[in-house]
Amino acid sequence: MGYYILKRLLAMVPTLLGVAVLIFILLRVVPGDVVEARFLTQGSQFQSQELMDIERKKLGLDQPLWKQFTTWMAGLARFDFGLSMWTGSPITEEIKLRFALSLQLAIMASTIATLLAIPLGILAAVKQDTWVDYAVRVFSIAGLATPSFWLGILMILTMLIVFKWVPPMVFTPFWVDPWQNLVQLIWPALAVGYRYSAVGTRMMRSAMLEVLREDYIRTARAKGLWTKLILSRHALKNAILPVLTIISLEFAFLLGGLVVTEQVFNLNGLGMLFVEAIARRDYTLTQALVMLVATVFLLVNFFVDIAYAWLDPRIRYR
Amino acid sequence: MPGSIPASATAEELSRAGGPHAGWLGATLDFVRQRPLGAVGAGIILLMVAMAATAGLVAPYDPLATDYASMLAAPSAEHWLGTDAYGRDVLTRILYGSRTALLVGLGASFLGTTFGSLIGVASAYFGGRIDLIVQRIMDVFFAFPVIILALAVVAVLGTGPENVILAIAAPMVPRCARVVRASALAVREMPYVDAARASGFGHQRIILRHMLPNVMAPILIMATAFLGEAILLEASLSFLGLGVQEPTAAWGLMLRGAAVEFAETAPWMAIFPGLAISLGVFGFNLFGDSLRDALDPRLRTQ
Repeated sequence: MGYYILKRLLAMVPTLLGVAVLIFILLRVVPGDVVEARFLTQGSQFQSQELMDIERKKLGLDQPLWKQFTTWMAGLARFDFGLSMWTGSPITEEIKLRFALSLQLAIMASTIATLLAIPLGILAAVKQDTWVDYAVRVFSIAGLATPSFWLGILMILTMLIVFKWVPPMVFTPFWVDPWQNLVQLIWPALAVGYRYSAVGTRMMRSAMLEVLREDYIRTARAKGLWTKLILSRHALKNAILPVLTIISLEFAFLLGGLVVTEQVFNLNGLGMLFVEAIARRDYTLTQALVMLVATVFLLVNFFVDIAYAWLDPRIRYR
Repeated sequence: MPGSIPASATAEELSRAGGPHAGWLGATLDFVRQRPLGAVGAGIILLMVAMAATAGLVAPYDPLATDYASMLAAPSAEHWLGTDAYGRDVLTRILYGSRTALLVGLGASFLGTTFGSLIGVASAYFGGRIDLIVQRIMDVFFAFPVIILALAVVAVLGTGPENVILAIAAPMVPRCARVVRASALAVREMPYVDAARASGFGHQRIILRHMLPNVMAPILIMATAFLGEAILLEASLSFLGLGVQEPTAAWGLMLRGAAVEFAETAPWMAIFPGLAISLGVFGFNLFGDSLRDALDPRLRTQ
């Protein structure tokens, strides 16, 4: 097991290196750079070619690509993300609060998704091919079909009309005012969580259907055990793993991919930062964000695999 | 019986199967009877196709015609679903928007599954080092945030429907390749592939003529799933201003800007295009779900 963990952790390095190369090249292919982007917004300040070149030199953009890449890699190896090309402040500072927001939203949305998916999936499987099953499936497929940003617009609209509530312009961190913070995040979390519960519900349903046909369930029923006990003790334990897997794998996406939902609810999370960073051609910030999300994705994958081995004695890694 | 567990499948399966009807009409009737949800999905898809095909004939107004006299008009006899901030008829723009949605959905899903399946089958067929390298590259794309890939493609190529299709198709390729590869690995071991190889057929012919047709089921499942996803992603990109551009009629675009600004006074602008997106994607997902049930024996729900 220890050897397996080490092997898996080491296998992340080439993948992360690949991600780094990919985003590095992609950003250089995108036309324009941060100096031009700033020139476009600020007008006169960098008008002359010389001034732009001086600015590029300051940011290290005049150096050959391989040198820019190795400098970045050397920084990453020391967990130093460098400075944002746009604002000039350290990237860790730029990301900190937004990461906290996105992380909290992702945790809340995943929790809501899990709480919806497990009972609904079980219900649909147990009542397979009845109207209950159909209702659950329609509910979950509708969740998958509804853009969460539109659901967000509808929520805000409803609250505007009913409670005269407007999403606040400033984010309140949990440690400042927990209640204010939860009120602010519960709606986006619901809009996103409903959507992600759909994937989980469908997975729960099919996993449960598969498990319910296993011999040990038949044995349990033949013994005359209560249906409730069979479901909770025998079936659920075996069907829940793939559901938890799929919900955790969505986690990395929730962390950096909620661009539109964040925009609708006036939240300054990582998703909005992504869009801003690309629009400003802020190479260092975009690179850092991509590496962050990729690392979270790989780590979640890793933990899911470890959890599998730990929870399911049939799986043993060498 | 509350809380009862369905009995084992086989008996039910036998009694339900009945005699298959002959002809495509019979097959359609069978599908409607056995998979009512899938039939509803197919109905919605047909409605959307009909909307796109007849938008020019059915739509009461010109989708681009601005009419400042009737700006932000509420739904009425003249404008069934109201008008937007430029006085354009919302119903007309929803009808024309179905064209954008279908174009982007079909285009992206076709491109994504075509390249994805070719890579997946080829990777499984060649195996060994080639397979390993392809898989490592796929791992990189998996860890890469989807939205960044899409944003970068749009930033390089610019906005507009063709580029949005590419931006949406790009992240689909590795996902499709992984699923198709898994199926193709099993197909590779089949005697008929050995036979083809023994007959001296080239790689290209074995991949395209012998392996690809036998992994069509997962490809079709992926393609329908991608269709709905592509429509949704197009709406998101357009909503952000990074997809289809004004004045083209597109559902995501209709939700942008004024629709949110005037949501309180003119809610129809925010409600109806969103309904169109949800309903369209809902139809594709419903149909895709039933297709998966029908094609994937492991998930077959008797």
